[in-house]
Amino acid sequence: MTTLLATPNGADPLAVSPSPSRRVRLAWPLALRLIMLATLLAVALLAAVRLGAVSLTTRALLDATVGRGDPTTVTIVRELRLPRALQAALVGAALAVSGATFQALLRNPLAEPYILGVSSGAAAGAVLAVVTGWAVRFFWALPIAAFTGAFMSMLLVFRIAFRVGRALDTKVLLLSGVVVSSFLVAVIWLILTFADTESVRSAIFWMMGSHAGASWRSVAILGSCLVPSLLILFALARPLNLLAIGEPTAAYLGTSVERTKIVAFATATLLTAASVSVSGTIGFVGLVVPHAIRLLWGSDNRGLLPCSAIAGAAFLVGADTLARSLAGANELPIGIVTALVGVPCFVWLLRRPAAA
Amino acid sequence: MFKGTILHRVVRVVAIVALLCAAARAANAQAKPAAAIELTDAAGHVVRLAKPARRVISLIPSATETLIALGATPQIVGRTRYDVAPEVAKLPSVGGGLDPSVETIVSLHPDLVIAWESDKRQQIRQQLIAAGIAVFVLRTQDTTDIFRGMANLGRLTGRDSAARAVATSVRGELEVVRRRVAGLSTPTVFYVVYSDPPMTAGPATFIGQLLDLAGGRSIFADLRQNWPTVAMEEIVRRDPDVVIVPVGEFKTNTIDRFRGLAGWRELRAVREGRVVTVPADLSSRPGPGIGEAARVLSAAIHHDFSARAKP
Repeated sequence: MTTLLATPNGADPLAVSPSPSRRVRLAWPLALRLIMLATLLAVALLAAVRLGAVSLTTRALLDATVGRGDPTTVTIVRELRLPRALQAALVGAALAVSGATFQALLRNPLAEPYILGVSSGAAAGAVLAVVTGWAVRFFWALPIAAFTGAFMSMLLVFRIAFRVGRALDTKVLLLSGVVVSSFLVAVIWLILTFADTESVRSAIFWMMGSHAGASWRSVAILGSCLVPSLLILFALARPLNLLAIGEPTAAYLGTSVERTKIVAFATATLLTAASVSVSGTIGFVGLVVPHAIRLLWGSDNRGLLPCSAIAGAAFLVGADTLARSLAGANELPIGIVTALVGVPCFVWLLRRPAAA
Repeated sequence: MFKGTILHRVVRVVAIVALLCAAARAANAQAKPAAAIELTDAAGHVVRLAKPARRVISLIPSATETLIALGATPQIVGRTRYDVAPEVAKLPSVGGGLDPSVETIVSLHPDLVIAWESDKRQQIRQQLIAAGIAVFVLRTQDTTDIFRGMANLGRLTGRDSAARAVATSVRGELEVVRRRVAGLSTPTVFYVVYSDPPMTAGPATFIGQLLDLAGGRSIFADLRQNWPTVAMEEIVRRDPDVVIVPVGEFKTNTIDRFRGLAGWRELRAVREGRVVTVPADLSSRPGPGIGEAARVLSAAIHHDFSARAKP
């Protein structure tokens, strides 16, 4: 149990902090890793456009991509598959980077993007929008309500955490996230207990998470939120490395600990909130992708964050493609695919002799 | 002052441009040929079709049944995985009614999709409309919705007279049942939508209304919700004369199971064997089958239990 609530330890393959013994892994240059992962993402994106419930010939697909040929195929490729694949990529990148950041900040390998209650806040907002009927009257009400819910829950969690100590204590933050999340889940089920069956069904569909609602607009909104957030977090990679070793050490080495923590927490939370509001909660990606990258190439955040972003994107695009093409027109919930495919891959990584 | 005049000039130009735009739009609107069919759906959207829909996909199984009853089977080009009618069994499936594969729908070139009003998310409708497909949202809560749905589906598929004929015949079937139970007693009924936790049909649903018409009185006729979950002890307290169990939809709804379940076991109707099953495919579908459903429900409510009790 103590290894799970990790401390920096060179022999621990799941340690969330970089350690000197990991340095040897840097023999794989970062550029090479990024190129490899980017190739993987490109393959996943191609597969996402190529595969689906409707089978298309490569010829028809190429024509449709440039807007020629059968208008139906053009609609399927350009209005349904492409935005969906891109949304999956953006959400995957956001969740993986957000998860990696939370793991570094909280120095806890169990940390994931939803650990501070963002998903419960988003779900509470979404459920309210569904039950009150706003979602029916106004198309963007559902994502806006979800984002507002996520944002409010984040504010609440941080307010509680700040009230308790002088500075932002990550243990208190973690606890306050967990209790706020539990409270919101209770509120959600209280609302749903008295809601009509149709609203309950719609709300549960939303909570299961899906990229089915993707559109160019959702991609644009998510993208414009994602790019600056990713840049901010990438820029914080070095201070995050130091923080992962320990706050006093980080402060000693010239990091402005409080500022780094607040900026990193806020950015990671916003990333998660934006993702959840367009796609619902999709588990597993944010927890496991960063760990997989750590197992492969160590926990230096300068490499970990960009690698996680691309790997998360590729993983979620692949999972979404499987979800909507495995069973024909019957779409599988994406959370099932991420776990069914992701767990065996992760177990294989864990058991690899090189990881020991 | 100088500033003011420039501002005024700008405002004037903007106003003129706006007026011109509005005029152009109005002219445009007039130039467009009036749609042959213009109907408001259950969500309040005005749906326009230039001519009756020739290729239809219904995401609602009961609406599919209505379309079949109207003779519109040749116009149906897809089905959901919940459609059971043999007429559509060979058609390509588009997945679930609430989570269909939009690209499969698009690939079938429908000019009209019938969708659930109860789906509170708008995404399917939004994507289909973006793909140029008309979407008509249907409510299926009570009998008024059912008859309105028949008329609307008839209008949308160019089968007005068939819709009128079906509606008249269903009304006739309901009338026969109503007359048959006129002089009879009104037993109290518990209709089991779902057994664990117990869920029943509220008075404003088509099932609640059919129970009434079939000469029964739901023990939960006072509840406002449409599909209320109720406490077991409240069912025991309200002590129904008959328990009606639709079978076929949920696997847990079998009489033998009820006899063994705590709570249900204590129910006088269960102990004394006054439990009747009805086919769920009939009683749970808000479509043209409600006449037959009313007949079956009335037979269940006025079942002669004494005849069978004798060994």
